[in-house]
Amino acid sequence: MSPTVTTEKVTSTQTRRKTTNASKAKKVTKQIELLEKKFVEALNILDQAKPFAKSLYQTDVFQLANELASSNGGMAVLDKYAHLFDKAGVFLSGDWEDPTKLQPPFVGNSLRLRGIYSILELLSEMRMLAIAKGTYKHDSISKEEACTFLNEVVALNLDLLTPQETQDQTIPQEEHLIRAQNLLSYLGQELSFKDVADQMIIEIDRLAVQRPIITRRILEMIQLSQQLVTNELNPSTLEVLEKYTQAVYAPTPLSKKAVDQRDYRLKLEQATDEELTTEAKLFSQSLDDTGLVSPFHVVLVRYLNRKKADILPLSLSLGESGSISFNDNKKLIHDLIQIAIYPETSQTIYGLSRMLNRGVLKIDTLLPAIQQLFELPIHAEVRKSLSLFINEQSSISMNGILIAGVISVLGQPLGIGQGKNPICQSARAISLWAQFEPVQLLTHIAHAAQDNNIEMSFEGEPLHSNLLIEGVANGIQQDLDVVSILLVPHLDKIYNEMIKRTLLRGEDGHKWVNREFYGKWIPSGFINAIDQLTLNVTNYSAFVKLFYATHHPDYNEGLKLIYPNPVGIFLTNVHGELLGLHAVSIQRIEKDHNGEYRIYFYNPNNDSTQNWGQGIKASVSGFGELEGESSLPFHEFVSRMYAYHYNPYEQGDTYMVEDSLVLQCKVLAKESWGKSSTWS
Amino acid sequence: MKANQSQTTALLGWSLQAIEAIDKMGRPYVVVGPPEFQSFADKNEISFVPWLFNVPIEQSFELYEKLKEFNVKLTVPIYEETVEWAGMINSLLFENPRLFNKSLLLRDKGLMKRRAHLAGLRVGVFEEAYNKEDIYRFFRRINQALIKLDEDQLEPIHVKPFDKAGTVGHRKIREEKDIEEIDDEEFPLLMESHLEGQEFSCEAFIHNGNVEFLNITEYVKLGHSNFVPASPTLEKWRPQIRAEIEKLVSAFEVDYGIIHPEFFITPNGEIYFGEVANRIPGGHIFEHIEKAYGFSPYQGQILCSDPDTTKEELKSFFPEEIVSAKGYSGNLMVYPKVKTISRLNIPVELKEHPYFVKHNMFIPTTSKVSERVGFGNHYGSINFFGDDAQEMRRLLEKFEKHNFYL
Repeated sequence: MSPTVTTEKVTSTQTRRKTTNASKAKKVTKQIELLEKKFVEALNILDQAKPFAKSLYQTDVFQLANELASSNGGMAVLDKYAHLFDKAGVFLSGDWEDPTKLQPPFVGNSLRLRGIYSILELLSEMRMLAIAKGTYKHDSISKEEACTFLNEVVALNLDLLTPQETQDQTIPQEEHLIRAQNLLSYLGQELSFKDVADQMIIEIDRLAVQRPIITRRILEMIQLSQQLVTNELNPSTLEVLEKYTQAVYAPTPLSKKAVDQRDYRLKLEQATDEELTTEAKLFSQSLDDTGLVSPFHVVLVRYLNRKKADILPLSLSLGESGSISFNDNKKLIHDLIQIAIYPETSQTIYGLSRMLNRGVLKIDTLLPAIQQLFELPIHAEVRKSLSLFINEQSSISMNGILIAGVISVLGQPLGIGQGKNPICQSARAISLWAQFEPVQLLTHIAHAAQDNNIEMSFEGEPLHSNLLIEGVANGIQQDLDVVSILLVPHLDKIYNEMIKRTLLRGEDGHKWVNREFYGKWIPSGFINAIDQLTLNVTNYSAFVKLFYATHHPDYNEGLKLIYPNPVGIFLTNVHGELLGLHAVSIQRIEKDHNGEYRIYFYNPNNDSTQNWGQGIKASVSGFGELEGESSLPFHEFVSRMYAYHYNPYEQGDTYMVEDSLVLQCKVLAKESWGKSSTWS
Repeated sequence: MKANQSQTTALLGWSLQAIEAIDKMGRPYVVVGPPEFQSFADKNEISFVPWLFNVPIEQSFELYEKLKEFNVKLTVPIYEETVEWAGMINSLLFENPRLFNKSLLLRDKGLMKRRAHLAGLRVGVFEEAYNKEDIYRFFRRINQALIKLDEDQLEPIHVKPFDKAGTVGHRKIREEKDIEEIDDEEFPLLMESHLEGQEFSCEAFIHNGNVEFLNITEYVKLGHSNFVPASPTLEKWRPQIRAEIEKLVSAFEVDYGIIHPEFFITPNGEIYFGEVANRIPGGHIFEHIEKAYGFSPYQGQILCSDPDTTKEELKSFFPEEIVSAKGYSGNLMVYPKVKTISRLNIPVELKEHPYFVKHNMFIPTTSKVSERVGFGNHYGSINFFGDDAQEMRRLLEKFEKHNFYL
């Protein structure tokens, strides 16, 4: 895209307006020319400065880049010189110095910052573009890699392409957003949207396969991807986009013809049983394929629930045990659908389907616990937080919202996410209870909803959450599911209080706290690789051998994991650098299709495909992962652990574990998070 | 410069501009600065001696020994706090104890004023204050002497610490309750009667007691805006100003280096002495000199500080005063007038003015605005360059009132 140069055609019939427009355009061109001149000058001065002095001249370059990026035609100017940025030292001594260290998921965050960092990020993208186009040859990044990088950046940030609709039109759009918009549209032109679309579906697939409860981000991306649909896309890409779009809008013949939900309902009333069956089956199919629910599906389910109960099970994607569960609990399910399945809670249909398939309703004591929620009086504070899920036109009740939330966690225990909050232990708790202590979970839910309080005990002493003040997280953001919003503030405080009570014991408090908090089914053995008094890594070899002897089927006498094991891991970034501590739970340990043992685990983090450095990349599909699981080869996972529970009464012999295995783990550990620790 | 190749110059204080300047001169140098710069210095192969200057001057012997290892033959002070260190070490290097004492004169505003007074420079009435009582008394006596009876028309006085740079700790006392606000820890303070007139500063480059180059900087608003060279109305007093400078040079026995004095001049040419410093001025003045005249004043300082620099070298280095200026270089330092910053407001007419060169205002990463101490933390500045001094002044005055940060 080059700046337009207007040539004036002077004719006698020229209107005054035309002249003004032409002269305006000329003025803009002159401005850009002047900016370009200044920019080049600043870049040259920077280039000529010695490395130690460059910081004196970088600001001028940033400021002019700012002006250019905010002006029409300015991006093209930046593009013209982007291949010179590195040599001149634009990025020297900053986070963007080494482009190999950059990752697409973080670009969007920087672009959304006011001030200087968003300018640097923008310049970095232009540099990457120069590599992608071949005008800048980089030693460690190929043209293809640069293309993929930018495709992902665009795919993840399509929403920056369209200006925000501000309520007050008199406030001008903020400059960093204008810059971001210019950048995205320029990139869009320079790259092919075809490749961006390919990248986009990789993203959507990756998020959807994890089957999260909160699907906001996936829906957002599907919506944005509409902008990319053109004839130039790969047929396979188009197909996938179609699949997702339909899943979220209308995957069935009748829903496709319907104008809106009311119209669809009318069509259902006119439909034959055969047509209804087709609708049900197609919805089920879509559910299975994507994990996403269309609002029309809600209309169908509600309709069938009232009028055609025999067809209803077909719309819920039930397996064998699911069907049995359905038949055994017809009345309850009828009521659940009535109270909880509404357009606002459409995703709950997926939860219902999976809940039935899990056979959770076989637990007798669970049924009255669920029943209790229908009429449960809800505390005013709780009403306030739940009201986020309702708008004025909703007809769903508070109890309905609550029950919908319960169905979701019972159906998708591994779909619980922590959002942007540091609450991994609480999220993990809800997940563990949803899997193995649903009655306990519902007790907590009922108490929290009615009394805004949870009671637990620590070594015999009662703890009430409403009497505690501090939790780990200070303010909890609202990107959580209903049950999490309800329980996490209480769990957080109680967990914190429990840990406090173990601080003087000279050992890691999790040893006791986890059993009191999660339940006594957590094994009593516990080991932490870090000595709590010296904070050194102590006896790592014993740590590794014990884990193999208690968890690896080749060494632990073939014992299978009965309950998930909550473990502590060190989170590391793509360079293996330590970021912090994290709580996950090991779900299964099994061989994959290659015969290699893998650890399948639940990570409350919303995106489980993180790259932990040293080639350790958790996967969510392709290795036999079940919904919501991530997996890693056994030793890779071990290299990131710092604490785990084990059953001291059921372990193999540690001396059978080869030293070579220990070494393998140790090397990975020492060169990543281990760099900042002392090893003894 | 060839004679100096074998011997090193030490810069006292960390300043990238100064380092860049001396680096370009090709003479060997070492930088003495806070330890936190060690890794940066190592990475960029800058000879470095880590040192904290806020320790007793008695420890200078230790620094002297370290510098001898680098074959240092001259130290040049960059910041106010390093002036007496340079004095001390130079007195050891040149075996001239007087150099140290001379540097102390320039670090104590009370002594400085006395010396200037004795040398015949016009100063205001001044006294040293050791407690609030002293200030009350001084304030009342001044006003008595000026027969100021009406509360509204009291003559203000100024108080400042003896040895801080710029306007750090400077208070203007307009009425007695201003005195109450002073903390006991701020004493001792120098008190001075208010001086009328236009304030301006000079940057004089001295070698062997001769003023090789004299620059006059015009202040538009102290701490906010200035430009170089001074306007014709101020420049017409150059001969008189030069005379005052020479009085200073001989009074303070300045042989080598730069001095940065501040003066007040009344409309009929009476010049009052404010204060003088022996180090690089703030307020972007050196940048202006470079933009206007085309030579690096940092290099000028180093050349002048070195007794071995020859007359020829000086002659070829310094251009002719005033006439060789390519234009007026000015700047406006911008301070947010709001408590939190959410966006910038830069008027189009500023950006389109032919005198506009550049600005460096960004939305900061923390939107809360910190409190001002002295002139240390302006948030951004705007540079101008043009050929009419009146227009320059008009621009600086106009945009000083503008709210750039919203």
